[in-house]
Amino acid sequence: MLLLVILMATTTSAGRSLTLRRVDTVAPNAAVRHIDQLDDRTLERFYAALEGGRQLTATGTDLEPGTVIVATDYYRVEAV
Amino acid sequence: MTEYVIIGDGISGSSAAETLREEDPESSITVITDEGEALYNRILIKEHAKGKLPEAPISIHEEDWYAERDIELSLNTHVTGVDTDEKVVHTHEGDEIGYDKLLIATGGTPTQLPVDDSDAEGIHHFWTFQDARKIRESAEAAEKGVIVGAGLLGIDFAAVCGAQGVEGKYLMRGDRWWRYALSSEGAEIMHEGMREVGVEPVFDSGVDRFETDDGQVVAAIDPDGERHECDFAGVAIGLTFNTEYLGDIDLEQDNGIVVDQYMQTNLEDVYAAGDITRFYDVLLGEQAQNGSWGSAKEQGRIAGVNMAADDEAEEFEWVSSYSITHFDFPFLSFGHPTLGDDHAERKYSDTEWRRIAFKDGKVVGGVLIGDLAPQSKLKQLMREQRDVADQKEVLLEETVDLDDLAPPQEQ
Ligand SMILES: Cc1cc2nc3c(=O)[nH]c(=O)nc-3n(C[C@H](O)[C@H](O)[C@H](O)COP(=O)(O)OP(=O)(O)OC[C@H]3O[C@@H](n4cnc5c(N)ncnc54)[C@H](O)[C@@H]3O)c2cc1C
Repeated sequence: MLLLVILMATTTSAGRSLTLRRVDTVAPNAAVRHIDQLDDRTLERFYAALEGGRQLTATGTDLEPGTVIVATDYYRVEAV
Repeated sequence: MTEYVIIGDGISGSSAAETLREEDPESSITVITDEGEALYNRILIKEHAKGKLPEAPISIHEEDWYAERDIELSLNTHVTGVDTDEKVVHTHEGDEIGYDKLLIATGGTPTQLPVDDSDAEGIHHFWTFQDARKIRESAEAAEKGVIVGAGLLGIDFAAVCGAQGVEGKYLMRGDRWWRYALSSEGAEIMHEGMREVGVEPVFDSGVDRFETDDGQVVAAIDPDGERHECDFAGVAIGLTFNTEYLGDIDLEQDNGIVVDQYMQTNLEDVYAAGDITRFYDVLLGEQAQNGSWGSAKEQGRIAGVNMAADDEAEEFEWVSSYSITHFDFPFLSFGHPTLGDDHAERKYSDTEWRRIAFKDGKVVGGVLIGDLAPQSKLKQLMREQRDVADQKEVLLEETVDLDDLAPPQEQ
C-alpha cells in the first residue's frame, strides 16, 4: 500500500510541493534521516501531514526531495 | 593561531569541529577518535541491526570532509591521558598533542552486567556501528533472545528481535518498561507494541547469571532461578561515561563532566559537550543530563562558538526530544520527563497516552504516545517557562489550545 501525503508549498521561494511516499526499501545511495534529526517545525509538519493528510506549507522545513525519513515507517520525500 | 583539540568524533565533537572551522578559519583543529570510522549516524544504526537499512546511508562524513575543511582527523586513536597544566593530550601510541583549547566529547560506553559470563558470544551491548553489524549478524542467526534493561536503549534490542524474527523475552526489573517516566497505563501501550512484534515482557525479573556452552550464551537465569533459553542477548542497563583517561586531573565531575550553560568546565580552556556533560540547564534551573542526538549536536555547536569567541558568547538552551519508531504508533519523550515535582497524565485510547512533568509550576518534560500533535505546544510552554501546572485540564485536552490557558501573570 502506498501512502501519499501532499505538503503544499504555497509560498516557498522554490515554490515546490512535496509528497511523502511510504517505502519498504532504501537505496544504498539514498540520504536517510531519523525523525529525531528534524527541527521542531519540520517535525510538526511531518506529523501533521501523516496524521491528518491535510495540506501544509513546506515553507521553512528542511526537507529535501529524495531524502528518506525514518519514522514508524520509512517515508521518501518527493517533489510533486 | 589557536590550536583546538577535540576528543571524540561523535555528533557533539564533529559539530564542534564544523563550528570552530566556520568561526575561526585560521585555526588548527584536530579531532581524535578511537573508532575506525569517521562520524556516522548513531541513531540509525538500530535500523541496520534490524536488517532494514544498508550501511552506506548511515555514514555522515567521509574522511574527505575533514581534509576539505583542513581538520586533522585521527582515527583508531585512543586518548590515554590529558595534562591540563602542560596542555597536552596523550595517545595510546605515545604521541603528545598540544592544545590551546580542549573539547571533551567522549560520550559513554554501555555498562556490562555485573554477572558471570556477561561477555559470552551472543551477548551484545549497543553503541557503535561495529556493535550494530555484529548484532545484525547474530540476530539473523538466532532463534531466541533475551533483553535486559527497561529503558530507551533496551527497547531497540526488542525491535531488533522483532524485525529479525527472534522470539524475545524482555526481562524487566520492575512491573513495567521505563518506570521512571511511564505509569502502568502508558507502559502497557509499549508492552502491547512489544508483544505485537513477538517480544514478551517479563516483569520483576532480570538476569542473575548467563549459562554458556563452549563460550556461546545458551540461557539467562533470572533471580528466581527461572531459565530463559537464548542464543542472543541484548544488555542495555545504562551508560558509563568515558572519563577514565582523565585520571586525577582536577576536573569537576558528578556522574558526567560538570559544565555551565556555555559548555565550560571548571578548568580554564577545557570544555565538554554531548552525552558526557552534566550541564546547567537554563530552562530547568539546575544541572541536568541529556542523552539525545539533537542535544549533543547543539552542545557541540555551542562549545565551538564559545571556544572560538574565547568568551561566553552563546548559552545552551534546548528542549531535547527522543523518539521510538519501532511500533505502529509513534512515541516521543521531550525535556526531562523523569524530573519535576508534579505531573499530569491521561490515556485517550489503547494506543494514545500523555504525561507532562512540571517543576515549580512549569513544564519540564513529558512523554507522548500515539498522538504527537501537542508536542510543539508543550515544548513551547517549556521554552517560555510559563506557570501552567494549575491548568492541567487544558494541557490534557485531546487537542491542546494554548489560547485556552489563562494569560501569563505579570511578575
Ligand atoms: C543504539 C542507539 C540508539 C539511539 N537512538 C537515539 C534516538 O532515537 N534519538 C536520539 O535522540 N538519540 C538516540 N541515541 C543517543 C544518541 O546517539 C547520543 O545521545 C549521541 O550520539 C551522543 O553523541 P556524543 O557525541 O555525545 O557521544 P558519542 O556519539 O558516544 O561519541 C563519543 C565518541 O568518543 C569516542 N571516544 C570515547 N573515549 C575516547 C578516547 N579515550 N579516545 C578517543 N576517542 C574516544 C567514542 O568512541 C565515540 O566515537 C541512541 C544511541 C544509541 C547507541
